[in-house]
Amino acid sequence: MIPHIAVEKLSFKYGANKSVLEKVSFKVEKGSFVSIVGPNGSGKSTLLKNISASLIPQKGQVFLKSEDIFSIKPKELAAKVAVVPQETMIQFPFTVEETVLMGRMPHQQRFQGDTPEDLAIARWGMELTNTWHLKDRLISEISGGERQRVIVARALTQEPQVLLLDEPTAHLDLQHQMELLELLQSLNKTGQVTVLAVLHDLNLASQFSEYVLLLYQTKVFAAGRPEETLTAHNIRQVYGIEVMITPNEMTGRNNIIPMARSTSKLHSGKNYRLHLICGGGTGTFIMDKLVQYGYQVTCGVLNIGDSDWSKAKSLGLPLVEEAPFTGIRPEIYRKNQELINRADAVVLMPIPFGTGNLGNLEQARNAGKEGKTIILVGNSDLSSRDFTGGKASRVYQEMLDEGAHVLKEPREIFTLLNSLSQQK
Amino acid sequence: MPYPAKQLWHLLIAVGMLGLFVIMIFCFTLGPANITFGETLVLLLAKIPFLGQLFDLSRYPETHQVILYQVRLPRVILAALVGAALAAVGTTFQGIFRNPMADPYIIGVSSGAALGAAIAIVTGLSVMLGMWALPLAAFLGAVLSTWLVYNLARVGGRVPVYTLLLAGVALSAFMSALMSFVMIVNASELQQIIFWMLGSFSGRDWSHVLVAAPVIILGIISLWVFSRDLNAMLFGEETAQHLGIETEKLKKILLVLSAITVAAAVSVSGTIGFVGLIIPHMVRLFTGPDHRILLPVAALTGASFMVITDTFARVALAPTEIPVGIITAFFGGPFFIYLLKRKKSNLF
Repeated sequence: MIPHIAVEKLSFKYGANKSVLEKVSFKVEKGSFVSIVGPNGSGKSTLLKNISASLIPQKGQVFLKSEDIFSIKPKELAAKVAVVPQETMIQFPFTVEETVLMGRMPHQQRFQGDTPEDLAIARWGMELTNTWHLKDRLISEISGGERQRVIVARALTQEPQVLLLDEPTAHLDLQHQMELLELLQSLNKTGQVTVLAVLHDLNLASQFSEYVLLLYQTKVFAAGRPEETLTAHNIRQVYGIEVMITPNEMTGRNNIIPMARSTSKLHSGKNYRLHLICGGGTGTFIMDKLVQYGYQVTCGVLNIGDSDWSKAKSLGLPLVEEAPFTGIRPEIYRKNQELINRADAVVLMPIPFGTGNLGNLEQARNAGKEGKTIILVGNSDLSSRDFTGGKASRVYQEMLDEGAHVLKEPREIFTLLNSLSQQK
Repeated sequence: MPYPAKQLWHLLIAVGMLGLFVIMIFCFTLGPANITFGETLVLLLAKIPFLGQLFDLSRYPETHQVILYQVRLPRVILAALVGAALAAVGTTFQGIFRNPMADPYIIGVSSGAALGAAIAIVTGLSVMLGMWALPLAAFLGAVLSTWLVYNLARVGGRVPVYTLLLAGVALSAFMSALMSFVMIVNASELQQIIFWMLGSFSGRDWSHVLVAAPVIILGIISLWVFSRDLNAMLFGEETAQHLGIETEKLKKILLVLSAITVAAAVSVSGTIGFVGLIIPHMVRLFTGPDHRILLPVAALTGASFMVITDTFARVALAPTEIPVGIITAFFGGPFFIYLLKRKKSNLF
């Protein structure tokens, strides 16, 4: 099937400045809802302007169905593609109804007035956007949020197949943000309107769109379903912040909660790798903090569904996982070993040991023998959490003898790591 | 509703036309020559086919007929045409530039025309080549300067309106300097040039009307055809594009139409100021910004205003003529300020 919009190797720059977009390619299926997200200056609005033929790219092409968008007559294009720009300053005292009726221009002949059908479509647009009651007010005298909805009404009045929106929610309060996005979603679902929106709010993008395009430094950093694109890992790379990603039970989508900035001036953990052996919530606290301080953290072997497992997942950490209540299989241990090999230090949290996870402990001991830093957190008397008939305690003792660091409380790890990473 | 509803637009235009007609008749009857109101009316009615046969003109002096038919009538009509042209183009330019300071002369029409006229006067062309040399020189000056400004403002296939404005202002200043120089070195023609620049309908006859009328009337109607596109332009060029308008093409068409219309007006009357700036604002206060109604009403109002001011110019200090450009600003300025204060709304 031919995609509704296809962008192929599009490159754009303003004048002689450096590129704003470089070889951007993606396809939009008919009737889908696509969000374009990315930090300021990543080229989102410019991309939208290229797709609406307001700007002409230096390289690459944009296709609407199979037609080159720049070969379509502007009037024909306006009957198919409507645009809601980022900000509309209107000083001229047109009434709201007149403003919305301008959306009929692409469908009207030059000498034709507004027909009853035009008026009906304009009314439909205003009713959907909850602006019908404003119809006789002056566009120059209503609030920014009302104006934004009027502009959306005008776009709807164009009866477009494609709706392009540049941060349509920027001027809207919480209620109208939701209303507008729900409206777009329903147009999208029932009217088969293809929606392409630049959004700043990652949560809105996550809740409403079927497809997310993440732009970063002039390129497509990631593209796909929201849960594939808006991961903690991608957001860290692109925005430089730590987020917690939790499922939204109501929508079945993910909530994205910003936590802190990724880099810290106090700690220079950037190049220091830690492998965390934890479980049952013992690692939740330090995992978060370590990531915030900029350490590169890996985890293993974690049981799927364990609280530390979901935490590591939500932080987007590389981890090795195993189905719960089964022993850890050899190939999983091998993967864990790979992570350990790459780490500068292995941190062992106070978890109980049974025959199923004794291998974790042995891998840590071996790493210590190979000269990696070993950090043992918690009471070093293992009797209360050794369910291996003493095997675990013996391995633990070996590590102590090898000179592993022992910390009574998890938070002590930050001071220790700070000095260790500086030595490195 | 602050502005007239769409259903009333036709009525409003009809009222404007009727008003203009009544004003023209009334001003036609006024003048320094001692001709009675009744006589002017009879002489006018006599020109109407069929109806004219009812009147016996033999009891009126021949000279009166000449004054009315050959002097006053063409003058009133020409004033109406020029007023309409200036107001219509002023409206168009304020729309394109989205700038309340825009007037028909903003992109160099007046200075170009004035330079052309000044050259025609000082080189003696206007004497050598007869009465059409001066208007032709002014027309060419106006059209050429607009063409030059347009090309100066072109940036990679586009003509941004701000560049256009700035190029217009810069070229105007340059041409004004040239003209001042021409005036200084030809001090003997100084008065003639200044009078031309202030604008006047004195001594204009039917030939001026016949030349200017087709250009101006066609020009205004053509501008009106694009009034819906102009509305969209008020929302910014990008929005206009999104509504399917080829903005670069539209700007070019409107500039060409405007330049020719104004050049025709200026060439027969001189650079009459104020009308093209203020009439559009004045009318916008009442009709709102929709060019479909604003443009025709502004043209009709401009015409009426010009007929009245020109009548004042020829009657007030008769037999001395006051240049009409002085009258337009002298009375129009305070009246506009009064309207502005009363309406208490912002202009644009």
